[in-house]
Amino acid sequence: MADAAAVDHGHGTGTGLSNNKLLMWVFLGSECLLFGGLISTYLIYRSRYADGPAPGDIFDIPFTSVSSFILLMSSLTMVLSLSALQRGDIRNNRVWLLATALLGSLFIGGQVYEFTTFLREGLGYTTSPFSSAFFTLTGFHGIHVSLGIVMLVSLIISSFRGTLTKERSETVEIVGLYWHFVDVVWIFIFTVIYLVPSPTS
Amino acid sequence: MSDTIELAAPGRPLGVYTRPRGNTGWRDWITTVDHKKIGILYGATAMFFFGIGGLEALLIRLQLATPDGTVLGADTYNRVFTMHGVTMVFLVIMPLAAAFANYLLPLQIGARDVAFPRLNALSYWVFLAGGLFLNMSWLLGDSPDGGWFAYAPNTGAVFSPGHGMDYYVLGLQIMGIASLVSAMNLIVTVLNMRAPGMTLFKMPVMTWMILVVQFLLLFAVPVITVALFLLMFDRNYGANFFNPEMGADPLLWQHLFWIFGHPEVYILILPSFGIISEVIPTFSRKPLFGYPFMVFSGIAIGFMGWGVWAHHMFVSGIGPISVAAFSISTMFIAVPTGVKILNWLATMWGGKIKFTVAMLFAFGVVSMFTIGGLSGVTHSVAPADTQQTDTYYIVAHFHYVIFGGSLLGIFAGFYFWWPKVFGHLLSEKLGKWNFWLMIIGFNMTFGPMHILGLQGMSRRIDSYSPGFGFEFWNMFASIGSFIIALGVLMFVINVVTSARRARHEPPVGPDPWDARSLEWFTPNPTPVHNFDELIQVDSLDEFWHRKYAEDENGRVVRVASAEEVCQDGSATDVHLPSPSYWPVVMAAGFPFVGFGLIYTLWVCIPGALLILMAIYGWIFEPTDDPDGPHGHPADGSSDHDGAQAPSEAAGETVEEAPVG
Amino acid sequence: MIPRILRAGRPAVLVGGALLALAGCAADAPLDTLKPQGPISRSIDSLSDPIFIIAGIVFVIIFGASGLIWWKFRDDHSTDEFPTQIHGNFRAEIAWTIGPAVLMAAIGVFTLFGHFELNGEDRHDIVLNVDDVSISWDPEILVVGQQWWWEFRYYFDGLDGVDLSDPRHLPPADIVTANQMVIPTGSEIGLSITSRDVIHSFWIPALNGKRDAVPRRISPWKIEADVPGFYFGQCTEFCGLSHARMQMQAVAVTPVDFQAWVDEQMQPAAEPTDAAAQRGLAVFEGQCTRCHVVNGVNDPGKGADLVANAAPNLTHLMSRTTFAGGIFGLYEPDGSLNRTQLEAWLRNAPAEKPAYAEGRRGMPAMGLSEGQIDDVVAYLQTLGARPDMEVIAATEVHP
Repeated sequence: MADAAAVDHGHGTGTGLSNNKLLMWVFLGSECLLFGGLISTYLIYRSRYADGPAPGDIFDIPFTSVSSFILLMSSLTMVLSLSALQRGDIRNNRVWLLATALLGSLFIGGQVYEFTTFLREGLGYTTSPFSSAFFTLTGFHGIHVSLGIVMLVSLIISSFRGTLTKERSETVEIVGLYWHFVDVVWIFIFTVIYLVPSPTS
Repeated sequence: MSDTIELAAPGRPLGVYTRPRGNTGWRDWITTVDHKKIGILYGATAMFFFGIGGLEALLIRLQLATPDGTVLGADTYNRVFTMHGVTMVFLVIMPLAAAFANYLLPLQIGARDVAFPRLNALSYWVFLAGGLFLNMSWLLGDSPDGGWFAYAPNTGAVFSPGHGMDYYVLGLQIMGIASLVSAMNLIVTVLNMRAPGMTLFKMPVMTWMILVVQFLLLFAVPVITVALFLLMFDRNYGANFFNPEMGADPLLWQHLFWIFGHPEVYILILPSFGIISEVIPTFSRKPLFGYPFMVFSGIAIGFMGWGVWAHHMFVSGIGPISVAAFSISTMFIAVPTGVKILNWLATMWGGKIKFTVAMLFAFGVVSMFTIGGLSGVTHSVAPADTQQTDTYYIVAHFHYVIFGGSLLGIFAGFYFWWPKVFGHLLSEKLGKWNFWLMIIGFNMTFGPMHILGLQGMSRRIDSYSPGFGFEFWNMFASIGSFIIALGVLMFVINVVTSARRARHEPPVGPDPWDARSLEWFTPNPTPVHNFDELIQVDSLDEFWHRKYAEDENGRVVRVASAEEVCQDGSATDVHLPSPSYWPVVMAAGFPFVGFGLIYTLWVCIPGALLILMAIYGWIFEPTDDPDGPHGHPADGSSDHDGAQAPSEAAGETVEEAPVG
Repeated sequence: MIPRILRAGRPAVLVGGALLALAGCAADAPLDTLKPQGPISRSIDSLSDPIFIIAGIVFVIIFGASGLIWWKFRDDHSTDEFPTQIHGNFRAEIAWTIGPAVLMAAIGVFTLFGHFELNGEDRHDIVLNVDDVSISWDPEILVVGQQWWWEFRYYFDGLDGVDLSDPRHLPPADIVTANQMVIPTGSEIGLSITSRDVIHSFWIPALNGKRDAVPRRISPWKIEADVPGFYFGQCTEFCGLSHARMQMQAVAVTPVDFQAWVDEQMQPAAEPTDAAAQRGLAVFEGQCTRCHVVNGVNDPGKGADLVANAAPNLTHLMSRTTFAGGIFGLYEPDGSLNRTQLEAWLRNAPAEKPAYAEGRRGMPAMGLSEGQIDDVVAYLQTLGARPDMEVIAATEVHP
């Protein structure tokens, strides 16, 4: 098991990263192309809203800005939780993990609210190429955030079971990598969807 | 994934589930996490699908042998050619490459296994599940009929209302998971687990090519994943990604498909390039000419492969400027490819070539791929391509590349590494029959297709009328296809008879070919723990350099016999990862999800339950089974610096990978 | 044993193969891509021919080197010594990196010239007499693909002002014909290619390369024929069930004959006089007009009860020599009507040409009685004039 710890911290591997951490990096590289494909699709279709609402008619930019800010803040709490664990501060680690999960959930809540509002306003999934692309892109991101929340909750549970110790801080780091990635992707998505001036009908 | 923590908690035994034991019988094959067995499974499965895909090919050739063919109806023909393409690309060449990658890559870098053995097993079982799922469509009466390229809107719900394209979408999606997991696993393996002293530029070219392929997969698979999702949402949930009626642009599919599809071509060909880069130096008895250039040209092909996709769309109306740009980029990808061909020739030049069957196949790759490459250059010329594209000229071209390049290379690999895997040689005599029948049949089948294409025969037509001048060469090609089948039959006979013969003959010994790379340090067949002790690598072709040195006149002199250099496989204290049930359980869930999405969502529930159960079991099964095979704790003496630990004691803890 | 013989005979096999290949190219092939019949296809040909030659030279070099290696460097077991161990040669590598790159660059330059020429436009107005008014027509034809036939629409006021945004609902054209596109020789004819359902590809190899017909996109293309003749084509983008049976021809005629063709096509269908044809018209109006249009009988803008919302316009059916997506001859070699085939088509079209009639794609079995079929055939024979014998002979592809 001492070996395991050594490998976990990447001593003596070819890259100096542990296998687990390298796997996450590699996976995130792949994810870039997944979101790249979805973002490109959205860019191609953002002005093809057929007879449905145009993006410029329907977006509530202040609302989404707030929820984006919430998601970005969760990256901060994620960092805090890791540094707490690295210091061996189990209690603060739990607090910040919980905060991260809550902020993430708040973001998802905001997304659910936004989707239902759009639906009410006549932008269904099948309304137009724009609507299909919008819901697919943000939906995929939402699923990623939700998976991240599941990971965070698992971390919290294992912390309470006493298994999330300073020695295992790399696990938090790896979940953190994923979480930061999802946040960074959102910065791109938010820019592309909401900040770039949208066509109006 | 976070639950890995539980697993790794020091001294906390998790005996909830025991891990499977024993390594005999079918149970072992199902639960194995040994990269070698998984490699064999990949190879055997791919050859099974090769039989199906080959049968489909023969049906196509029977239908087209005469004008107004009546062997298959138009509908069946469309399904057969679609499944032929899908099968050969995704169920034959890719898994055959995976077979070589799985078996040989850890050996070639001097490791005891891949970084994540259970994920490796998962890749195989998910691939198998996807392949069976896709082929189930034949039994359930509605197989894909939109071509392997599946151009929208012909594959949308309006124009393909049956379930065929659903099988295509979901089958490829399932296999995409397998490819992606495998790619991540192998990348980590190569980057992290090389033997001490093995820098990147001491890796065999084959390892390099496999690494490049894994990066291509890593970035290409998500792109087709997006495309398949969009098509699935269109078909099943009424989305509008490819519905022109709502203002969507069908070319979006083509872009996404070919951004995946062109790197895919290199995914198919580079492993073969790697294989013959091992075979040619061995039998020429010379080192590979221009090793760094071979590596860089492979990497260059990998990079440039991303910038040429629209040459599949020269006539689709993407605009003259785009066509011009992609025409030029396509021409320049010929440069690194040419470098490779010339380096192989230079390797052989001045050599003392032993034309074993493996070498014959490798030689076949160099010459046949040259033809494919040259015809490729002729359609990089965009105006010429407007005449050539979607004709049999293209069919000829890519068969010269994929059959003449990839498949022949894989056969070279079979003959070369058969003793490594099974401990006995394949018959050279039957092998020569195999080679010559295949190469003659191949040229008879696909050579005339150049002519047919230039004569104007379109691709994907289920029949042609007399009077277009297509009769002779089609009949000729059909005869050729049966000669190929005969060649493949020779291979099957060879496999069977060689195995029988081997029972009465002494084992093949450690180094039948006077080979060069690390995998030959192990005895044949490779023992379950691979290396008795890890190898300190000082040079490229380490194995060869332990056998030979140069005297003061530059002459090669033998300094050690193969028996002295090779390990005897007698180590007993190597700790290996224990087998696991959960990869196969998880994989079994995917087809249920697929059927559920096609027929009725209720069927998804058992699938989802299987997957969830497997994730749960995966996380909670004990990290190791102390009574498993070779179950003595590693004494630590063999892993001086811990670099190899992942494949040993810590293999399983490290393996608790973030799989979501 | 046999392998040894083959080994020795390998170059002979290759040479033999090459000869056979040349022999094959000489066969009569109406879709041959190497026999250009107009300036556009000729410029493609003159670009691709040198490329084939260059590729051939490289082929000979590589295969020559391979042959040399095969003969010269095989292990003759004369000594146990290793050959000289050469690990590489930097200069050689640079040479065979730069050499091919320069070659490719040269090919690239010619390609770009050829490519932009191919995508350029050099159309000149054609003076035509339409409805007794002399007009100058910017010769551009709208080409519409659908499962599994081609429609050609002529707008003599030019395509610029025509709303092409929805190919399933196009404004009425001056001439609408199917599967046989008539063009005057000696003029570059612009094509605007689109589709009503899936992606098809328009290709007349003797006159130009191919261009896809993509729904909701208008792709510009062009053809030009030197001399009068019949130039065969085939849909080359897989478009579903009857992809193989989606053929077309370009019919190039002299400008004078083109004028005559226009005059003829501008006429609406004449009232049938004979009794059987009159009964046939009644059946036609009851059944066929659900999809087909005959100018003067039903409204050309009404659309069809099909996914693509169109079926071939039959006003001048008899002036064409093929039907059903260009796959059946309308006439026997002796010039009489190909009655057997036409009746079979009317009896049960899906049996003659695979289609998804139940999915409203392709002509369904109409359930006509034999008497009705005879009447409809009689009526169809009144639609347009039979072309000349040599025309019929020239389009015969089914001996």
